[in-house]
Amino acid sequence: MTSSENTWNFLSSHFVIIVRDMFGRKSECQQLRAMLSPYIDGELGSPEKTRVERHIEECDACRRELEALRATVGLLRRVPQVAPPRSFTVAARAPRRHPAWGAMRAATAVAVLVLAFVFIGDALNFIGAGPVEDKSTRQQAAATETPVPEPAGGLLGEGGVNEDDLAVDEDWGGTRSLRNVELGLAGVVVVLGGATAVMWLRLRREREKEAEALVREKGGTRE
Amino acid sequence: MTVCLEQERPSARMWPMQESELVERAKRGDLDCFNQLVEAYQRQVYNLCLRMLSRPHDAEDVTQIAFISAFKGLGKFRGGSFRAWLFRIAANACRDELRLRLRRPAASLDAIPLDLEVDRRALSPEDYAASQELGQAIGAALAALPADQRLAVILRDIMGLEYAEIAQATASSLGTVKSRISRGRERLRDLLREHVELSQ
Repeated sequence: MTSSENTWNFLSSHFVIIVRDMFGRKSECQQLRAMLSPYIDGELGSPEKTRVERHIEECDACRRELEALRATVGLLRRVPQVAPPRSFTVAARAPRRHPAWGAMRAATAVAVLVLAFVFIGDALNFIGAGPVEDKSTRQQAAATETPVPEPAGGLLGEGGVNEDDLAVDEDWGGTRSLRNVELGLAGVVVVLGGATAVMWLRLRREREKEAEALVREKGGTRE
Repeated sequence: MTVCLEQERPSARMWPMQESELVERAKRGDLDCFNQLVEAYQRQVYNLCLRMLSRPHDAEDVTQIAFISAFKGLGKFRGGSFRAWLFRIAANACRDELRLRLRRPAASLDAIPLDLEVDRRALSPEDYAASQELGQAIGAALAALPADQRLAVILRDIMGLEYAEIAQATASSLGTVKSRISRGRERLRDLLREHVELSQ
C-alpha cells in the first residue's frame, strides 16, 4: 500500500467522522437546547435527564447556555410578589332574580296568548258561530212547533219580529259575554304586564346600583 | 340551609374549611365561603395581573373583574386545581385588557418600573440604583414577550406553578407549556443579556 493510498484512506474515513460530528452534534445541540428549561425545572424523565447531563459535560456551548438560562431564572425569581392594594372580596351578592319573576313573565305571556286567541277567534266569528246556529235551529223548532199560525198577518209579522228580536238579543248577549271575557283578559294582561315591568325596572336599578358601588369601591374609573 | 350555615360559621373560623368544601359551598351561592377563597388567592391573582399588565391600576381593576367572573362562573368549575382555574379566568381577563389596549395604543407605553425584592438599608445607593435598573429591565423584557410566553414564564418563575398546573391554567398541553417556557426564557436571556452575564 502506497503512502498516498494511506493518506487517502485516512482522510476519507476521518472526513466521514468530521461531517457526522459537525451535523450530528449540531442537531444533538438543537434537540438538547429545548430540553434545558425543563431540565432546570426538574420536568425531564430520567433518560432525557441523563442525556442532557452527558451532553453538557462535553459541550461547552450548551453548558454556557444552561448557565445563562439558570441565571435568567434566578433574575426572574427575584421579582417579588407584592401585597395587593386592597381586598378583592365580592362585596354584595349579584342581584338575584326575584323568584316570582319567571312565573310572572310566563303568566303574562300566557294571558297575552289567550287574549290574542280569543280576539282572533272573535274577529273570525269562530266563537260567535255558536249563538247564530242556536238562533236558526230555534227558528226551525219554532216553525215546527206552530204548524198552524194565526191568520193575522200582522200578528205573524209581529211574532216574526219578536222572534228576531229575541234571537238578536241572545246573539248580543253571547257577544257581550265574549267581550267581557276579552276585557277581563285585557285587564289581566295589563296587571300582569305592569307588575312584570315594575319588577324588571327594580332589577335593573339594583344592577345599576351594584355597578356604581363597584366603581366607587375601586376608587377609580376605567376608561 | 341559611340557619345551618349561620351555626357552622363560628366553627369554620376556628378550623378553616378545606378548599374543596369552600368551593362546593360557594357554588351553592355562599358568598362568605367564596370570599374566603378570594382572601386566600387575591395576592397571587393580583400579582399575576400586575406582571401581565405592568400597571398597578389596571391590575387592580382586572383582578376585581376576574373574581366577579369567577363567582358568576363557579358552576362551570369541574374540579382539578381551583387555583389554576382562577388563574385561567384572570389570564383571560388580562388578555381582554391587552386587546383593549391595542385599540388605545397611546396608553400602552407607560409600563411601570418593576421593583425587586431588596433591603434598601443593606444596599449602598449605587447597588440600590442598580437593582432599580435591573427591575426596570426585567419589567421591560417581560412586556416585550408575546403574551402566551409571558404568561407561561410568569406562572412558572414568578408564581412558582408546576408545569401540569400551568397547562390547566392556560388550557394547553404539557408540550406547549414546555415550549412556551423554553422560548420565553431564551428570549428573556437575550433581552437581559448584560444583567444575566453580571449575575453569572
